[in-house]
Amino acid sequence: MRGIYKIYPPEVLALENVDWSLKKGEVHSIVGENGAGKSTLMKILSGLIKPSSGKIFIKDCHVIFSAPYQAMKMGIGMVHQEFMLIPSFKVYENVILGSEKDLSKFGGLLDKRKAKSIIKSLSEAYGFEIDINAAASDISVAAQQKVEILKQMFRKVEIVIMDEPTAVLTPQEIEELFGRLRKLKEMGKTIVFISHKLDEVLEISDRITVMRKGKKVDTILNKDITKNVLANMMVGRDVIFRVNKPFKTPGKAVLEVDNITVNSIKRKTLGPVRFNVYEGEILGLAGIEGNGQFELVEALIGAMALSSGKISVKGIDVTNIAIRDRRKYIGFVSEDRKYTGLALKGSIKENLIMTHHIKNEMHNLPFTINWNKGEIFAQRLIKDFSIVCRSISEQCISLSGGNQQKVVVAREFTLNTPFLLLDQPARGLDVGTIEFIHKKILDMREHGIAILLISADLDELFNLSDRLMVMREGKITGILDPSETTKEDLGAYMLGVKENV
Amino acid sequence: MSRFRKFIVGILGLIVGLILSILIVKMQGKSPLEVYKALFGYSLGSLLSIISTLNAATPLILTGLSAAMAWDAGAINLGQPGQFLIGAITAALLGIYLPFPVWISIPLILIGAAAAGALWSGLAAFFRQKYNMDEFVSTLMLNFIAEYFTTYLVTYPFLDPKAYVASTTAIRKAFTLATPDQFNKGIYLAVLVAIFTWWIVKRWGIGYEWHMIGLNQRFAAVGGCKTERDYSLAMLYSGALSGLAGGILILGGTQHRFMKGIGGNFGWDGVMLAMIANNDVIMTVIFAFFFGALKAGGIGMEFDTSVPSEFILVIEAIIVISVVATRATIDLYGGKLKALVKTRRVVKNS
Ligand SMILES: Nc1ncnc2c1ncn2[C@@H]1O[C@H](COP(=O)(O)OP(=O)(O)OP(=O)(O)O)[C@@H](O)[C@H]1O
Ligand SMILES: [Mg+2]
Repeated sequence: MRGIYKIYPPEVLALENVDWSLKKGEVHSIVGENGAGKSTLMKILSGLIKPSSGKIFIKDCHVIFSAPYQAMKMGIGMVHQEFMLIPSFKVYENVILGSEKDLSKFGGLLDKRKAKSIIKSLSEAYGFEIDINAAASDISVAAQQKVEILKQMFRKVEIVIMDEPTAVLTPQEIEELFGRLRKLKEMGKTIVFISHKLDEVLEISDRITVMRKGKKVDTILNKDITKNVLANMMVGRDVIFRVNKPFKTPGKAVLEVDNITVNSIKRKTLGPVRFNVYEGEILGLAGIEGNGQFELVEALIGAMALSSGKISVKGIDVTNIAIRDRRKYIGFVSEDRKYTGLALKGSIKENLIMTHHIKNEMHNLPFTINWNKGEIFAQRLIKDFSIVCRSISEQCISLSGGNQQKVVVAREFTLNTPFLLLDQPARGLDVGTIEFIHKKILDMREHGIAILLISADLDELFNLSDRLMVMREGKITGILDPSETTKEDLGAYMLGVKENV
Repeated sequence: MSRFRKFIVGILGLIVGLILSILIVKMQGKSPLEVYKALFGYSLGSLLSIISTLNAATPLILTGLSAAMAWDAGAINLGQPGQFLIGAITAALLGIYLPFPVWISIPLILIGAAAAGALWSGLAAFFRQKYNMDEFVSTLMLNFIAEYFTTYLVTYPFLDPKAYVASTTAIRKAFTLATPDQFNKGIYLAVLVAIFTWWIVKRWGIGYEWHMIGLNQRFAAVGGCKTERDYSLAMLYSGALSGLAGGILILGGTQHRFMKGIGGNFGWDGVMLAMIANNDVIMTVIFAFFFGALKAGGIGMEFDTSVPSEFILVIEAIIVISVVATRATIDLYGGKLKALVKTRRVVKNS
């Protein structure tokens, strides 16, 4: 790719004069801050979007893609950051979607049997254990990702581009994925790997490209480089991975969860679960996704009713009060910033003022909102949390992922609640932003806020938590001291090999 | 988009629409010049025409707002026609039978009409809360029920035997809101209500919550918005606006009674207005006046040229499509053009 520029309408400069090359058979990683243009560059390579200027060469041949299928024909396929499966379709139907023409019999009917057998043998060849007759909506995220990869293999691509494939996976699943990627490499495929987790990048890549603000900083061989060097290249300054955490004796219990259970028809039930979070304490909750975390969060925030038990914050029983009233005591950063954390089409101002709008400070009359105060408030948050945007009236959808998350964090951390519920607060963010958010979390701890931190990232848990709690199959199976526990140990608890409660 | 840009884009769409209608008139073998002269003359050409424009705009403001504010809150109320009819029949009956003096009766009638409209949309809100039935479907169904129900009322129990179409008897003379030259003073109320609506939507807490629920219901709920209460209130207020439109038409219109088929298309026109205005309160009001002019002009056009006044419906539809399409086109190609210009600049500079 030579001299690539991309300007999104109307005037977002996403890529600026990028030269980039890919060698056959390599695993090539791309790293960079949120909004650096990684996805954009790869979308151009896979024909999903057109560059504003610049050329693509494959084996010295100038190619122009105006649709993904053309790139596909040249052997280039992409697994996107957001999966693009049709939920109601079965796995094999999703795999053949778009290329069903090659499978027709009697000049039009789909040869289902043939399709299934091809896909079955493909999935066996690559060691994917997957039920090709299951509906896409019923399978786990990791399995959905396998389907996406299978889709590329079915189309016989030579170059597989994976955009942040590990962001949605558990540590075990990541290992599996890496095994699969290595296998693909052995079979002669070329892989492009985008990730924010530098350890992963260092583990799997042959070469690494670093991007910053739409430009390519450099492409380097993965030899004798460290995480710190890489991070420095990405953000242009040193990044501290290990936050230093002053010792603090926890105070009184703030959140008291007393034997709660949740029974729902479709999902696994939760409980009975019992724990406290204390003043000035960060309690880290570890566990493989889908082991009751979702239910716990919904129950705490009040979006799901308890079947039994009691929740109280600062001695106030909140078990049966509405979300609106609960939010006086609970700040909440959702793992799902696009659908729960933000109204993407709303302005930054509107998003920042949510929940604050209930408070008296924001009112003239009891029922009106004082937008002057609202604007001053929004401006202050933008400054305090260094949110990069053009104006407070800009839509959140046009912000980079990192800045979107900063909007959520800024809003929730300024609610003055005694308890903060943080569900994957750093998922999908670049190292610089993670450092920033971790600092803010520790600030809150300094202020005596009780914090429950749910995370799939073990480094994050070990870095921040004062205590670790493991959840498995809806129950708490371990309470651990992070300074006396190893990652492997924690993994054993998460998998259910060990228990101590 | 800034309000100014919205306005300009709207005007551009109107122009495209008018040009397209010229072509259609031409194809019919009529003279576009004459048609437009008549349209203009009868909508703005004299005091009388201006009055009829304002009279037509009055219910449109309210039904338009009814659709716009509900949709903005994510409540897909499509029941403006039904709520309008129910409001109108309530006003007509109260206007016949209320024994009180004028100063108390008129407010009572108008409140009654609004309440009746709210009741009608409230039914849909109830079905949704209780049985999870989409208001999008139920409000449409309630339109039919309202139509047949009011027709029944004016055909049997409240039929004025002296009238030559199915209708109630006239309301008490003293209750009319029309001046001797047929000007409907109800427009003052409509404009006041519009201002009040703007105030709620833009400045009240519930207006903010409505907008956020419309954008992302789950986000709003987790953020502490009272989503169910807000939804119900949006539906009720929306229905009240349409009901009030019906009430004002009875009190200030030319018939002073409820006749079968009264109000014609005011409900659906409101739906169109909200669409063109992109649910914006101020734009809805501006377009209501414009559509009022079209309606008034259309009736005149029928007198002067042999083009039937129904043709105005065609023009309206063309305008809706061209405004919406122009908006989308300008957004799309405007952005692309800007990107192209910037690309040129950036590539050259490096
Ligand atoms: N469809 C779009 N329209 C307008 N701007 C866009 C669009 N997609 C991306 N951008 C902008 O282009 C820039 C590059 O975005 P891109 O998605 O390529 O970043 P990224 O490096 O993949 O970030 P992340 O790590 O968060 O995935 C960002 O500033 C982003 O806001
Ligand atoms: Mg990306």
